[in-house]
Amino acid sequence: MASTAHGTTVVAPLPDTRWRTRDIVIAAVIGVAFGVVFWAWGLAWSAFDPVFAFAPPAKDLLYAVWLVPAVLAPLIIRKPGAAVFAEMVAAGVSALIGSQWGVDTLLSGFLQGAAAELIFAFTLYRIWSFPILALAAIASALAAWLHDWVLYYATVDTTVQLIRGVAMAVSAVVIVAGGSVALARSLRSAGVLEGFPD
Amino acid sequence: MELAASDLTVTYKGASTPALQGVSVEVPAGACLLIVGPSGSGKSTFGLALAGLVPREIRSTMTGSLTVDGVETRAAEPSALAAKVGIVFQDPGSQLVMERVEDEVVFGLENRGWLPEAMRGRVPQVIAEAGLAGLERRRSSRLSGGQQQRLAVAGVLAPEPGCLVLDEPTSNLDPDGAAALFARLADLRAARAVTLVLIEHHIDLAWPLADLVLALDRDGSMIDVGPPAEVLGRSRDRMGAAGTWLPGDGPPTGASLAPGPIASESVVIARGVSFGYEPTAPVLAGVDLEARAGERLALVGANGSGKSTLARLLAGLLRPDRGTVRLGGDDPTRLPSAVLARLAGYVFQNPESGFLRDRVIDEVMLGLSAAERAAAPDVMGRLGLPLEAFGDRNPYRLSGGEARRLSLACTLVRSPDLLVLDEPTYGQDRLGYEALIRILDEQVDGGTALVVATHDRRFVADVATRVITLANGALTS
Amino acid sequence: MIVARDLAPAQLDGVLGQTSPVLKLGIALAWLIGLATTTAWAPPIVLAATAVTAALSVGRVPTANLARAVAPLWLAAFGLAFFNTVFGIANADPTSSTVLTLGPWRVTAEAIDAGVGLGLRVLAIGAVGAVFALTTDSTRLVDALVQQARVPERFAYGALAAYGSIPRFGEDLANLRAARRIRGLRGTWHPRILVGLLVLAIRHGDRMALAMDARAFGSEPRSRYRDVRWSRLDLVVGAAGLVGLVGALAVGR
Ligand SMILES: Nc1ncnc2c1ncn2[C@@H]1O[C@H](COP(=O)(O)OP(=O)(O)OP(=O)(O)O)[C@@H](O)[C@H]1O
Ligand SMILES: Nc1ncnc2c1ncn2[C@@H]1O[C@H](COP(=O)(O)OP(=O)(O)OP(=O)(O)O)[C@@H](O)[C@H]1O
Ligand SMILES: [Mg+2]
Ligand SMILES: [Mg+2]
Repeated sequence: MASTAHGTTVVAPLPDTRWRTRDIVIAAVIGVAFGVVFWAWGLAWSAFDPVFAFAPPAKDLLYAVWLVPAVLAPLIIRKPGAAVFAEMVAAGVSALIGSQWGVDTLLSGFLQGAAAELIFAFTLYRIWSFPILALAAIASALAAWLHDWVLYYATVDTTVQLIRGVAMAVSAVVIVAGGSVALARSLRSAGVLEGFPD
Repeated sequence: MELAASDLTVTYKGASTPALQGVSVEVPAGACLLIVGPSGSGKSTFGLALAGLVPREIRSTMTGSLTVDGVETRAAEPSALAAKVGIVFQDPGSQLVMERVEDEVVFGLENRGWLPEAMRGRVPQVIAEAGLAGLERRRSSRLSGGQQQRLAVAGVLAPEPGCLVLDEPTSNLDPDGAAALFARLADLRAARAVTLVLIEHHIDLAWPLADLVLALDRDGSMIDVGPPAEVLGRSRDRMGAAGTWLPGDGPPTGASLAPGPIASESVVIARGVSFGYEPTAPVLAGVDLEARAGERLALVGANGSGKSTLARLLAGLLRPDRGTVRLGGDDPTRLPSAVLARLAGYVFQNPESGFLRDRVIDEVMLGLSAAERAAAPDVMGRLGLPLEAFGDRNPYRLSGGEARRLSLACTLVRSPDLLVLDEPTYGQDRLGYEALIRILDEQVDGGTALVVATHDRRFVADVATRVITLANGALTS
Repeated sequence: MIVARDLAPAQLDGVLGQTSPVLKLGIALAWLIGLATTTAWAPPIVLAATAVTAALSVGRVPTANLARAVAPLWLAAFGLAFFNTVFGIANADPTSSTVLTLGPWRVTAEAIDAGVGLGLRVLAIGAVGAVFALTTDSTRLVDALVQQARVPERFAYGALAAYGSIPRFGEDLANLRAARRIRGLRGTWHPRILVGLLVLAIRHGDRMALAMDARAFGSEPRSRYRDVRWSRLDLVVGAAGLVGLVGALAVGR
């Protein structure tokens, strides 16, 4: 992380990129916990369908719940690949316990994680400020949006697609970036992140 | 595999005083070291340091030297050290890795690269020795607390480590299970193939195995080290003053046992209570039980017999499938939480299950009235957790015994009509035990009905006026 | 309460249970990509029917379990079909044939056609996923990923260990709620409970990671107790999967 000392910016050396066992397990636990959330959320999502049928972008304001692990896990463990790994674990778990999207969760999980990963890689995993998290969240939402367009909304009107996209981006910033920061703060104050960078 | 500590001092991050200080001990290969000392004296810390987890993984500083086979644990490759030292943690629930019993035993073998043929011979043998034969494909999460503890030991023993650290391995075992484990440890010691480091409050079982005893004091310093008889001869008084259990402290002190007046009105009544977590596996079948004000009931029974389940039913934390529970005349599962909290107190078998806050002081003060708040510092002090020293600590970073006492304190600061305590004494030193008994005596004399689920025979003899044994889902008095 | 699915031995011993999980995953992904190329009705119907038939016959999946697993699919499929119909591009195309006008909305036959196709796609994807989940043991899946797909071991088994804590979530939840209740706190669905669950999961995971380290996890080389090998069965199932996909797409032409 960049820090200023006597007015000059000192860039910290590259963070340790080797994954310890606890990095792996904690990223996976975040993935698993959200995999269960995805599964429950997927059921609720479908149940909401009729309710939101005529105000579809309103539903997409809640879309970003699917994207949380892609930012929360890297924010906590700060290792290359954390976004993809956590998001894939979450996707795999929801597929295994029975998601209606089947193995497509793996594909979308990969795309969503990889998009966020790109942003973190671009900072060389050194900057964890809110704007970067928000950017990663938006990138992830963008990937999800494109994926869904091709697979599920292939014949939907372009204006509606664009409205969806904007709703998803807003949702990503609030739920994913904001939510991750808030969750990380709670976890830290509960003292469970002792073994991880502050 | 020999072990040697010299002037070993460990201080946890954020702590003002060391958890372990100036400890020196040499354990020859194949010997058995028994570590005794009061709660919080650094016993577990020593074990964690041997396994290399302190200071590398658990933030702390370590000075002095600690070697396994001549290699400093601090400098050793973690995997190389892990291949030598097997450790069973104090909290058995947190160390099971794989989904099924057999795979759990296999896990450690695979990590060390055992050949498949060798594993095929070793795995069934270890499972059978642990008394888990027939449960190979069972999910570990469906085992009872005692079975999980056996599995944890089996998983660590399987790869035949040169040094085995067992941190209170019998804390959740029923008396038969504890005796069986110690019989196995005796075999291991007789073969002299493994260096044993044993941390245990059940001194009567552990003492005969020890070649060396390391006695620690409350502040983590060393009282004495040497052959058991010599240590006892030299330091009996100091160890006793520190609160360590000593051989011959034996069962029943018969301390209180003046059965106070038992009122006629009942606090809790269970009638025909049946319960199962899964429809196919009933745990309790038609249980009848009544506890009156001022009465002291002990629930005993083998691992998995349903003590904890019955305890939860009585406190209104589970709803019976059939039958009724009445607490002060009402169905406790339907009472508003504020009312329930005044009527009943419940202490979980695993203390951490009951923790809700990030600081010890917030944890004890949670939901208390002004009068109770004023009384809290006194209760904490009596249980050896003075708020000045412990108030700001994180409840999850206490020693095992400290966590147990905090969970007790959270309930004992209030004076509910019914106290339900699940294994309140495990991991306690003599001082903690005696303090608990005195507080319970006061509460019961004040008209509280006490129900304890426990494996601790001494505790049963010291507090209970009625003992109820659970077996096959039913009660016998 | 959340309980990891317990698969009956019959399901795991059936043809689909014995097939390599990696292969099943491959087929499912191939089908998914194939389905993405068409909005015709026939391909998803054929593939869904193939998967369900295979599961109920050679897969030995109990009908009731499969029915329960696909139950939420209908809702999802209907929702998507509806959405694609009402907001379909075709509705804006003047050459489309109007079926219905609702205020500002015009629903066309072309939009309905495509909408139903997409709804069926969801149904097929979901049905295939359910069959995969109902015939695949998690430990075997990870073994196969490591041995056949060369997924890095530490990550694969780390994830498996985390997956094993799912049954704990249910217990943690019950404990948290009980702890709150007995201390007089209100609200059985307080947001604090959900955060508390994550805290407990991470704390447990962290301790489990230490236990794994202490048991020499991650030191090379690791050996294997449970072998997953490619077999003739995999060849047969793989070929059948491809034939099914090609056939389904051909029918859709
Ligand atoms: N992670 C930690 N952070 C800070 N302090 C700790 C931590 N773990 C333990 N301690 C403190 O270090 C001291 C020694 O703890 P340790 O767990 O070694 O005690 P113990 O002898 O095993 O006690 P018990 O018999 O109760 O298990 C205690 O005072 C405890 O509060
Ligand atoms: N949450 C749960 N889900 C499913 N089964 C459970 C659960 N908790 C306990 N059991 C099972 O119910 C039975 C009774 O368990 P309980 O915890 O009441 O036993 P116990 O007498 O307290 O045992 P111990 O001495 O090991 O604490 C056991 O067979 C156990 O496996
Ligand atoms: Mg201890
Ligand atoms: Mg119990």
